[in-house]
Amino acid sequence: MTELTLKINGEDVSANVEPRLSLADFIRDHRRLTGTHLGCEHGVCGACTVLMNGEPVRSCITFAVVADGTEITTIEGFDEDDPMAQLRQAFHENHALQCGYCTPGMLVAARDIVTRLPDADEDRVRLELAGNLCRCTGYVGIVNAILSVLEQRRG
Amino acid sequence: MKSAKFDHQRTTSLADALAALGNADGEARIMGGGQSLGPMMNLRLAQPDLLIDISRVAGLDGIDMTGSSLLIGARVTHARIEDGEVPGVTGAYLQAVASGISYRSVRNRGTIGGSVAHADPSADWPSALLALGGEVTISGQGGERRMPLDGFQIGPFATGLGYDEILTGFDLPVLSDGAKWGYYKVNRKPGEFADAIGAVVMGPEPRAVCGATESAPFRVTAIEEKLAGGATELSVADARDMIAAHDPGFDDYDLQIHAVALSRAVGRAFA
Amino acid sequence: MADGGATDGKGIGARVLRKEDARHLAGRGKFTGDFRRPGQKELAFVRSPVAHGRIKSVTKPAGFEHCVFTTDDMPGMLPMRAPSKMPGYKASDYPALAIGKVRFVGEPIAVCVADTRAEAEDLAQATQVEFEELAPVVDMLAAKAPDAPRIHEDWDSNLVMETFADDDFGKIADRATVVIKREYRMARHAMNPMEGRAVFAEWDDRTDQLMMWTSTQVPHLIRTGLAEFLGLEQKQVRVIAPDVGGGFGCKALLQPEELVAGWLTRHLEVPVRWIEDRREHLVTGANCREHHYFITIHATPEGRMLGLDCDVTVDAGAYSVYPFTNGLEGAMAHGNLPGPYDLEVYRCRTQTMTTNKPPLMPYRGVARPGVCYAMEMTIDALAREIGVESHEIRKMNMVKESAMPFMSIAKKHFDSGNYAKSVEMATDMIGFDDIRREQQTPPADGRLIGVGMGSYVEQTAHGTSVFASWGVAMVPGYEQATVRLTPDGGLELRIGVQSHGQGMETSMAQMANEVLGIDPAAVTVTHGDTGLTPYSTGTYASRSMVMAGGATARACRVLAERMEIIAAHLLQCERAEVSVRGGKVVSGKGEVSFAEIGRVWYLNPDELPDDVDQGGVEVTMGYRPEPDSGAFTYASHACKVAVDVDTGKVKVLDYVIVEDCGTIVNPMIVEGQTYGGATQGIGTALFEESAYDADGNPLASTFADYMMPGTTDAPHYRIDHMESPSPFTEYGIKGMGEGGTIPTPAAIGNAINDALKAIGAEVNETPFTPRRVRAAIIAAQKNQQGDAA
Repeated sequence: MTELTLKINGEDVSANVEPRLSLADFIRDHRRLTGTHLGCEHGVCGACTVLMNGEPVRSCITFAVVADGTEITTIEGFDEDDPMAQLRQAFHENHALQCGYCTPGMLVAARDIVTRLPDADEDRVRLELAGNLCRCTGYVGIVNAILSVLEQRRG
Repeated sequence: MKSAKFDHQRTTSLADALAALGNADGEARIMGGGQSLGPMMNLRLAQPDLLIDISRVAGLDGIDMTGSSLLIGARVTHARIEDGEVPGVTGAYLQAVASGISYRSVRNRGTIGGSVAHADPSADWPSALLALGGEVTISGQGGERRMPLDGFQIGPFATGLGYDEILTGFDLPVLSDGAKWGYYKVNRKPGEFADAIGAVVMGPEPRAVCGATESAPFRVTAIEEKLAGGATELSVADARDMIAAHDPGFDDYDLQIHAVALSRAVGRAFA
Repeated sequence: MADGGATDGKGIGARVLRKEDARHLAGRGKFTGDFRRPGQKELAFVRSPVAHGRIKSVTKPAGFEHCVFTTDDMPGMLPMRAPSKMPGYKASDYPALAIGKVRFVGEPIAVCVADTRAEAEDLAQATQVEFEELAPVVDMLAAKAPDAPRIHEDWDSNLVMETFADDDFGKIADRATVVIKREYRMARHAMNPMEGRAVFAEWDDRTDQLMMWTSTQVPHLIRTGLAEFLGLEQKQVRVIAPDVGGGFGCKALLQPEELVAGWLTRHLEVPVRWIEDRREHLVTGANCREHHYFITIHATPEGRMLGLDCDVTVDAGAYSVYPFTNGLEGAMAHGNLPGPYDLEVYRCRTQTMTTNKPPLMPYRGVARPGVCYAMEMTIDALAREIGVESHEIRKMNMVKESAMPFMSIAKKHFDSGNYAKSVEMATDMIGFDDIRREQQTPPADGRLIGVGMGSYVEQTAHGTSVFASWGVAMVPGYEQATVRLTPDGGLELRIGVQSHGQGMETSMAQMANEVLGIDPAAVTVTHGDTGLTPYSTGTYASRSMVMAGGATARACRVLAERMEIIAAHLLQCERAEVSVRGGKVVSGKGEVSFAEIGRVWYLNPDELPDDVDQGGVEVTMGYRPEPDSGAFTYASHACKVAVDVDTGKVKVLDYVIVEDCGTIVNPMIVEGQTYGGATQGIGTALFEESAYDADGNPLASTFADYMMPGTTDAPHYRIDHMESPSPFTEYGIKGMGEGGTIPTPAAIGNAINDALKAIGAEVNETPFTPRRVRAAIIAAQKNQQGDAA
């Protein structure tokens, strides 16, 4: 067992965990923050995307012990976040989700796009989102939602 | 799909990491960003006994250009290179390569040193850096040493790195202003591992690399000679013959797409 | 009678935003994998590494023997059996854990129980299984060889089922002088909902019930199956589908892992959880689409198609699945191959073969993506042969609107629609003539441009008579819905189908709004719980909106009548003077809110009239369309592709859809379903393949080897709608959940072949990978060189 201290959604957390425990399983099973989903557990589908120190990472292929000392933000931790509020509204209005399973990871990845790439066009949004799989929507609503938030933010 | 058991050792200095490596019983693996090892461990394709975590080791994350030498630390992430932290023409080349590696959330963790040490034949850095040339810097119990990128990778997932050594970074050539380069990857989708890589860098000597093979990437002599002779384009048919001369063990389709990759890399260099 | 109560624009036809979204956007959805109880155990399976073999021994890890269970350790757990009344159908018992023999890689042999999934996987890794390996049957055509190894020893061949219908081609011989023959293959692949399958089970001593939360589309069927194969009474099983992260068919069947979890929780007396990981899904869920066709179209030189002749082979995998069997694909291929076309003669033989691969399951579109692909690709081959544009051939041969209703040559009872109009609209939308002009000037980058189309007609919401004719163990009957007014005037709506992305919590509320005028926000839709909802065969076959929506409308109408009686009394007027409108009961003398009616019924019954319906403000009604032969949705998809001749890589540049699903309840949801389906079709067409080596080992067990369509692969779709109401259903609604998947492989394949026509190359095997496209080009070049020589 290895000791682990980190911040999750602003809250200080300490735990003793097996080194093999993934950050995703730590978040889900130990912290009961089940909004972070596991879709492939080998870093391809993006469902498990969370922020580590403000940057999106795959929590399924990141061991929890590696996150020691970091600040993690999961989908449950964006209640006061403007870009996320815009994205949530835009996802709702653009029918950007169906089953909802990929949605938390999509939102975290989308937030990175709208904040890091304010000038992104549709091709760029699609390219940047290529690492997040959705099986339901055909990506139409997701791409439209992100473009609409980019537009809003450009004012 | 959960990793087998292993011990985890956090290290904060290179000396600690080397000591941990030297003292390890069983299989020890160095982990930087863990973006290649993580999936393999979840799939239990890799089951190391000890994971030596160098993600906090100081001094391995620098990008320093001095004169004709560009030092890049092993722990520099793909994302930092994508974001343009490496200066000059070399930086522009590396930026183009980095931005095509996997996805942003992987690039935020994955490192250039980890990729080269892991030596997946389909990965970008082994091919891209071979085309640039330069050296790998290595630390071991006996001190530091260097190896040229030429010959560093010796096969799939195999390099000249000793079992008790750590790849610490790269000493890369600084390309002159106006130096041309081209990089082309054939893959099914953005972010997926490559099916074929063509990398061409017109440094002091032209270097042309055929990558994403079954084994290590290799330089294609005849293409380099052609470029040295002033050629600014390369037909797919010529590229096929020149690659085939190295006997890479490709079937017709693989030969074709590797030839296309190199032909288009040349095209991009001289576009 | 109450109807048309909607006054706020939120009823049928409105783009009402989804009620389901808020929880998912907040990360507060509740999926099966999110459940956790103190003391729960996690499960991992020991799965067969060989495709075909006899199990000689299973050696459990020393000291942990009590944590590993084989079928011998689990008395009372019966193999799943899904019989069919189809003539000659051979049922195969599908054991939840292998009994003596394994028949595909990934077949469960033992289950390991531990505190964490990682520890359970440790046990699975440490369990040794010895096999006597047997020769596998990997290919469905090879399975037909008389000397092919037998997968089920007691069978006289590997044939599961055969259908055959012959016809007299002599009738058309003198007119049908053009004969086009082709061979096609559609690859096996996996459905890949982003949430894999998942089960959480515990025994409730208070109710003496097995409680199972499972990621399923068909909770009531799972309950029935669990009871049957675990030897429980039906009342001892309650199945709940919480949020389900996509289904697409693979969650419409009883799964071995559900049976195992049910047995374990009962006998170990602890809650157990199993969550399928992606590798398990890709290996054991490689279970759909695999068809082979030899197809011949007989046509006039002008393109009038008179005859269709086809030999279809379906690779059904190792076992029959409960309840739909592995014979459904063959039966549906037979009935759907002629598509929307009016033919004179039809001969078709389907052979469903068993192989050493995972059991075939019905994936979104079921058989129709395969038959549409074979038919539509051959139509384009005909078009190239006779020099007529294929959209003209489609229009010339489609069943005419004026002929509706129309009994097709495959005995499909088409209800309504203008099929040719969809072709015309799609041809215009894609800019067909512009593309033809563009093709005359080859682009500088050496890519070839092509345009292609696929049209289909899809039987949806087919009912009792249709399923009964397929002979499956489960036949849907009257779908029921329960509506209940709450004391504060809200509405509880309970349906036995299950929504896992289709947005039924919204669209069913719109249906209630249509009748009662109640705000959808005031309607709670409860679904996916056998303890709370009417029995239903569940969500599949594009049936839920027609069936459960129809039942909802009927239940709401009865509720309205009962509320009108109460309201008339409260308003002191005649019953005929009141009607439900806008979520109230109104009359010339005033109005009564639903909340007022709720208050009176529940809390102040002393104010009720004498003639009140004693059933109160809770109504269950059943519904089945008459006739129940199905509502026929149709569509034409057209696309423009670029083929990189040097690499064989195909890029979809533009994609248009013209669809007609009758009356549209929520256009936003219809479009979302269509885009999603089409993107799965792009996966089928270009990316997805569960390949096997000669020993039956799967070659795609991770997303590194199995390509899923992503954002850059899906085009920016353009869509237009037609609305031809079905005369047979409530409000004329037709089902549409599956349709998007159906014509996509055909449209893309046709566009590729259009691009390659100058070279004379044709692709004929999905997915159209760069390697296959290059192979087609090289073969054509060799042919031409051969011709030249």
